Amino acid sequence: MSRLEARGAVIGYGDTPVVRGVDVAIPDGQITAIVGPNGCGKSTLLRALVRLLSPSDGSVVLDGDDIHALPTREVARRVGLLPQSPIAPAGITVKELVARGRTPHQKVLRPWSDKDETAVLSALHSTALTDIQDAVVDELSGGQRQRAWIAMSLAQDTPLMILDEPTTYLDIAHQYDVMDLLHRLNTRQNRTIVMVVHDLHQAARYAHHVIAMHQGEVAAAGTPGDVFTEDLIRTVFSLEARVLTDPVTGTPMVVPAHGPGGVR
Amino acid sequence: MRTLTIGPLGITTHRRTFAAGLGLVAVLAGLLIFALTAGKADITVLDSIKAAVGISVGAPADFIVGQVRAPRALTAVLVGAMLGLSGAILQSLTRNPLASPDFIGITMGAGTGAVLTLWLVTATSLWITAAGAVAGALLTAGVILALSWRRAGVVPLRLILAGIGMGFVAQALTQYLLTRMDVHDAANALGWLVGTTTGRTWTHVTVAAVCLAVLGPLVLWHARALRTMEMGDDAARALGIHVGTSRGVLAISSVLLAAAAVAVCGPIGFIALVAPALALRVTRSAGATLIPSALMGAVLLLAADQVSQQMPQALQFPVGVFTAAIGAPYLLWLVWRASRGGPA
Repeated sequence: MSRLEARGAVIGYGDTPVVRGVDVAIPDGQITAIVGPNGCGKSTLLRALVRLLSPSDGSVVLDGDDIHALPTREVARRVGLLPQSPIAPAGITVKELVARGRTPHQKVLRPWSDKDETAVLSALHSTALTDIQDAVVDELSGGQRQRAWIAMSLAQDTPLMILDEPTTYLDIAHQYDVMDLLHRLNTRQNRTIVMVVHDLHQAARYAHHVIAMHQGEVAAAGTPGDVFTEDLIRTVFSLEARVLTDPVTGTPMVVPAHGPGGVR
Repeated sequence: MRTLTIGPLGITTHRRTFAAGLGLVAVLAGLLIFALTAGKADITVLDSIKAAVGISVGAPADFIVGQVRAPRALTAVLVGAMLGLSGAILQSLTRNPLASPDFIGITMGAGTGAVLTLWLVTATSLWITAAGAVAGALLTAGVILALSWRRAGVVPLRLILAGIGMGFVAQALTQYLLTRMDVHDAANALGWLVGTTTGRTWTHVTVAAVCLAVLGPLVLWHARALRTMEMGDDAARALGIHVGTSRGVLAISSVLLAAAAVAVCGPIGFIALVAPALALRVTRSAGATLIPSALMGAVLLLAADQVSQQMPQALQFPVGVFTAAIGAPYLLWLVWRASRGGPA
């Protein structure tokens, strides 16, 4: 089952389509990773899935309705987005930032409710930020800051969470920290997660479903085992690679056949 | 969240913001009482307040307080609030503390529009001047937007540079208009162009109050959108904000507030630049704080007005001179900090 789908979606900026008629279904309750080289249209597709862009042809469908026919606030209660480089207002504390995730649940003349407070506290708890909730976001480490943004997205309390490159700019330990967090949110809170990631290793380890994009089209979609083949890596990334079995998780492991001593 | 909910309106605010707001209201009230009572005339505090609210207490007080001090002080309060709001909105929308209507040419454009109406229309009413100021401000804002627009939208730095440029253009136009006016009108216009609160009447208070009563609630209605948009357009949209609509309403309101302030008092500089920054300091809030900014603007302008009024005769400059004396050092400090690599 999938609540969120793109059907024959042609998406682009101005007249040039970046994504050329793709059919994508996001499986409910799973982690989906979208991978592909720079400029393949993965971020564009992601933006269309949260209604930041509208397809010039085809449609994005949320729970059976065209996502553009739904009220903005209604979409924001079902699908959350963590953009690639969001801006933290100067001087904002972790808790204040997380509280802003409640925006779609509030109205101009409706006060902060107990439900809002509970959602914020639970988001802080899930991301292990409770102890530093009064810290100023600007002063956090990169990893903590990213957790704070994820907590904001969590407080939005949407069944679907979409993240644009959540691990970019983080050091390797913090990258796995964030991935483990997303995995926990998926298994414990049954959130459907869609993320654009660059690291194929992480995609293979954490995602149930992988969508590989190439030149604005879906080159392959399926389990990591189905998608990550040596042929596909060659077509999509123009990279010679071996696909081995990850000794830690048993998932496919893409090992580039480049570098000194590599088979070119 | 350490928040406070106020009664049936359901306005939620941080305790710190609320306390700071109360403090500003208290300072403003104190300044108002001082403005109504201070002076050479021998009028008691109670009589002053009575005369100010229109209860007759006899000849000198009815005129001195009722017709001179009260409208002047209230004009300063309302215009200060409008400038504070206008600056807070622009600074938040552009995420730049330099973006205030007097810095990016809006105020100068409003001034040109107002001077143009002074020149064209012989029998001027304040409403006509206001219309001229609004037209001038909107036109200037339109040109600035067009100049700073790129495919992805407005580029903040371009907006500020285009605004500074337009400010000079508008000032040149105003100078030209002054040379074409007859000497008497030009002298009037010049006096007004410095930015002044002297000689304001209840008509000025009415114009300012009407503008604030219309635009204030509109702006507050979009306050949450304003704060959310500070996190970037994508994040705001994903949180259910109608980014385009809210930004349009807020930007136009900001321009109109600045234009109305110019129509009533002439171009008073620096209040719109400084008040939001001080309000942020006082409330320690992250992101735009509209009501504290408005209160801070009112306090600053009324205080500057009182300083200019209570000076010895020889030093009684128009209030615009005093706001510049507060604002210029702040601006220099901002530039100095930016040049040291801090946030601009």
